[in-house]
Amino acid sequence: MKKIIKLNVNDIDYEIAVDHHALLIDVIRNSLRLTGTKKSCGEGDCCSCTVLIDNKPVLSCITLAAACEGKKITTIEGMENKDGTLHPIQQAFIDKGAVQCGFCTPGMVLATKALLDRNPNPTRDEIKKGLSGNLCRCTGYIKISDAVEHAAKLLQTR
Amino acid sequence: MYLQQFQYESPETVGDLSLLLSKYKERARILAGGTDIIPNMLNKLYKAGYLIDISGIKTLSGIEYKKGKGLTIGAATKLDDIEYSDLIKDKYFALYQSVKEVGSPQIRAMATLGGNTCNASPAADTPPALVALGAGVVIVSRKGRREMLLEDFILGNRVTDLKPDEYLESFQIPDVQPGSAGRFGLITLRKAVEIDIASIAVNLAIDPKTKKTEDIKIVLGSVAPVPLRVKKAESILIGQKPDDAIIEKAAKECADESKPIDDIRASAAYRRHVVSVLAKRTLNETINAVK
Amino acid sequence: MTEENRQFSIIGKSVPRVNGADKVRGRTQFTDDISLPGMIYGKIKPADITHGRIKKIDTSKAEKLPGVFAIITGEDTPIPYNIAFHLPTETPLAGDKVRYYGEGVAAVAAIDEESAEKALDLIKIEYEELPYVLGPLESMSQDKVRIHDEFENNVHLNGEQNFGDVAGAFKNSHFVLKDKFSTNGVNHGFLEPHTAIADYNPDTKKLTLHNCIQLPNTTQRILSDVLEMPLNDIRVKVPHVGGGFGGKTEVTPSAIVACVLSKKTGRPVKITSTRNEVFILGKGRHPSCVEIEMGFTKDGIITGVDLDYIIDGGAHTSWGLVIMWFSAALVHLPYKVENVHFKGRRILTNKPTFGAQRGVGAVQVRVPIECIIDEAGKKLGISPMELRLRNAVESGYEAKAAVTVRHSEFKKCLEAVRDKSGFNEKFGKLPFGRGIGLAAGHYSTGGAYLLFRSYRPHSTANVRIDAEAGVTVFTGITDIGQGALTVVRQMAAEVFGLDVNDINLFCQDTTMCPFDNGTYDSRVTYGVGHAVKRACNEAKEKLLQFTAIGMGIAKHHLECGNRTIYSIYDPRKKIDFFDAITRYHSSVGSLFGTGEYTPPQPKANYEGNLIGPSPAFGFTVQAIEIEVDTDTGHIKILNHYEAGDCGKALNPMSVEGQVEGGICMGIGQSLYEDVIINEDGMMINPNFHSYLIPGPLDMPEIESEIVESYDPTSAFGSKEIGEGPLCPVPPALMNAVSDAIGVRIKELPLTPEKVLKALGKI
Repeated sequence: MKKIIKLNVNDIDYEIAVDHHALLIDVIRNSLRLTGTKKSCGEGDCCSCTVLIDNKPVLSCITLAAACEGKKITTIEGMENKDGTLHPIQQAFIDKGAVQCGFCTPGMVLATKALLDRNPNPTRDEIKKGLSGNLCRCTGYIKISDAVEHAAKLLQTR
Repeated sequence: MYLQQFQYESPETVGDLSLLLSKYKERARILAGGTDIIPNMLNKLYKAGYLIDISGIKTLSGIEYKKGKGLTIGAATKLDDIEYSDLIKDKYFALYQSVKEVGSPQIRAMATLGGNTCNASPAADTPPALVALGAGVVIVSRKGRREMLLEDFILGNRVTDLKPDEYLESFQIPDVQPGSAGRFGLITLRKAVEIDIASIAVNLAIDPKTKKTEDIKIVLGSVAPVPLRVKKAESILIGQKPDDAIIEKAAKECADESKPIDDIRASAAYRRHVVSVLAKRTLNETINAVK
Repeated sequence: MTEENRQFSIIGKSVPRVNGADKVRGRTQFTDDISLPGMIYGKIKPADITHGRIKKIDTSKAEKLPGVFAIITGEDTPIPYNIAFHLPTETPLAGDKVRYYGEGVAAVAAIDEESAEKALDLIKIEYEELPYVLGPLESMSQDKVRIHDEFENNVHLNGEQNFGDVAGAFKNSHFVLKDKFSTNGVNHGFLEPHTAIADYNPDTKKLTLHNCIQLPNTTQRILSDVLEMPLNDIRVKVPHVGGGFGGKTEVTPSAIVACVLSKKTGRPVKITSTRNEVFILGKGRHPSCVEIEMGFTKDGIITGVDLDYIIDGGAHTSWGLVIMWFSAALVHLPYKVENVHFKGRRILTNKPTFGAQRGVGAVQVRVPIECIIDEAGKKLGISPMELRLRNAVESGYEAKAAVTVRHSEFKKCLEAVRDKSGFNEKFGKLPFGRGIGLAAGHYSTGGAYLLFRSYRPHSTANVRIDAEAGVTVFTGITDIGQGALTVVRQMAAEVFGLDVNDINLFCQDTTMCPFDNGTYDSRVTYGVGHAVKRACNEAKEKLLQFTAIGMGIAKHHLECGNRTIYSIYDPRKKIDFFDAITRYHSSVGSLFGTGEYTPPQPKANYEGNLIGPSPAFGFTVQAIEIEVDTDTGHIKILNHYEAGDCGKALNPMSVEGQVEGGICMGIGQSLYEDVIINEDGMMINPNFHSYLIPGPLDMPEIESEIVESYDPTSAFGSKEIGEGPLCPVPPALMNAVSDAIGVRIKELPLTPEKVLKALGKI
């Protein structure tokens, strides 16, 4: 059974037919061809699939696409600045060595965006709590915390 | 992993919700945040012919406090709306603490307070806190509404008193008594996104003059099929000045009253031991929090 | 100017990842992000029994499901394989017999994953169930349950090494300590699940496999064997890999199944594993049970080590051979041991197979050795730090197993950790519940032999330089997240005096790139480093010779730097590098260079001699300060100190990333992670909510230090860094717990429950 839904993804409006039981991640990756959103655990345990819905971080692997009617969604492809340059969070992740294999990175970057939107100047502990569900197996998280601290500074001087 | 097919419904009013529930009954399941139901359906633990999404019903979410009457929280209120409510942090600290322990920020942005209760997972964080705060639930169907205490609503592991044509409308939490405080504590393996080994919520009031415990609720989580009120332990403290010896005795009683099981996270023996440790720590913390 | 004192321009700089922008934009192409025209999807049906014969497979209903293209069973995949080309037992789908719960028994290709999943449910299988064994000790002590006909008592490997005279050494020791330790089975937990896309062309009869794999050339070789296709008809292309840690070294059943399905349907077939499948088919670290005897003089000098080593292999042979002998080799370092006896066995059980994981064979050996050294210290009244310093190997040390340590700054690492952690002031002196634990380790920088026996070079690199391609390096390496793509560019840029972005790099493609042994055993920067440097130097020589004539300057007066070629005597005399290239190309044609590397071959002949010798060894020392909640048993890491010798740090930021990531994985194995198989043979925690890898809040801040070092045998002075730092974490934490609570726990993981049991509280 299909349902026609309207979505705004990365400031572009879409009207698409989705199965009632389709997951948002599959619609984003397969129908919208935005493959930056990653499926790692497929059941809400690792936060690799994080997207922002109405600016809140949400797990697209356990969200029904049909439930997103009328929502404003930001995926990693929509993180860049308006002029197409890297967002300060993205730049900070590169410069501070917070990117290794890169599979958790899109979810990590979007979770950071949600964290810094709410708390522009987080302590190290608040950073870890804000990213507490985003698993990374490469970095040991230290450089990710460094990157978030750095990004907060960049955003404040912007 | 794929979901089995179902029909998705998204009523915008409680009237439409009641209508759909009375129509589909057992074949329907209510979808709120989906953080529990969707993974379980992906793992084929259960299926539903109809998923009725209540997130579009505005009247089912919200936080409202009236002095003297207390707090009303809509069942579909997102956990992070509770987490970031200054009012709740200020007046209902145990609830704030328990909400903060649920999953990750992502899970809390999705999950609802009603969902955390209606899943009736023995390891859920918020029900022990809500029970300790004396929360009641309002249940509605086309036939009418009924109210009951949350501690009577959760019947067992994944079982509640909710009938197929009913939905949970809201939580009613009594106003805060002067001289009272509430705290929530838990034991996990990993520090976040974890299923608790044991949890506890304490809410108590101490008479400022006599320094005796006037009113107390102690509720254990993860060590019984339901949020477990340990009434014998409560009775040890009631009417007493909570000194170290009494607290120790009550904490031991909490362990004795718990009904833990062995599972992948810990043995029953370990759980029973840490219940008393947790009880002692949380009781002390709560007593110290009384202003 | 010696190499050691050489000022590098770009080697040694914390160059950010060259593909960082793609990764933070989500533009990086992982295998699952690829769609090919006409592509269909495969799924594998797991067995729901633990041990039994397959009597009948009924696929008739599944075949009728709309959207199903093909169904295969074990009959379609009859040829067994083994990653080390030794005693192959495994087929991608079970043949006559299922040997563990979750083993693949049939596979479907369908129009989409959902249809494939539905078709699997319609395949009916009749089994004749057999009794099963799950514990290695039980398995080897009976023969009623035989998992493979060819292995009596389910003993896959049974070997012994004897160096010196252990019995004699023990007789002359001040004392001999004996104890038993066991380590847990863990999983790699990389975030990107295995994905394979097989694309068979029925007209050309050529196959391309797109696969997230660490060893593309070995994969190609195994595919050639099991598909009975000529090697050069198979091309393995590796898109970006989302973490490997050893778990993408072996060709997966899904990759072979995708190839068979693609051959059968003539369409590209994609199979992406679920997390559950990654856990069950992913072959993580072997659990072990090790009995150790270790002798000491009264001055604390180690006289001998006797190790009785048993690892649980699960159902198939996998990396077993390499792991067992690698463990044996690891006994000989980083402490001088004159007398070593090693008896090892790898036992088969009806569990998912165990294979290779970061720090292969090392955790199982570090745990007993590092714990026993601490016990010896206690008995002798000598600080564990002092004891390790007294026994530490130095540059030039030749171990009895003919393993030569050509360069070592191990002692410097010990001293660095001693000084910054205040170990000697803290150990044994902290209040009850607080403790500090020390452990050290080393790791090889690539082994001496190829997985499939051959005398060819282990690494070859080619460089092509011309107007069209700029400077383009071709190597067979795989970047699994560790940063090889960046570091290899740094190497080429260093030789040519260019920027990292001036270098193009082609790798991860068996047709386009020269052979490479692959990304494992921490061999890439060393082995490929030599090959790349040689290739680039060869091209540079030609270029300088040509340019010298044009500039009228002697060739040996010319050098590359700052994107120019200049006279070292008069730097004003210079030519833009790319102008020089254009001139060379216009008159001579494209410029090529090639370089290779083969590690030194083993010097002695004994059982297992091929595994262990390495051209270089990295070293790491760690001290961990903890607080134990003696009421709940929780271990909190307060401070974590590390100092490591990785030779020259080619990219310090990447080195730190390896150290921190390795330590994090070590903390996971020590405190949280455990592959749990229930009494029915099912893994009961094949997901990230029950198998707990550390999250951000579980990771302490690390005070790590890269000790000043330069290995003169290495192309740019570098040695291993990717695996070693993980290995001392478990024993360091075990030693810290012992210091904190006065009781030694000898089993991993160190759960709160075990701590309370040790304290006698439950």
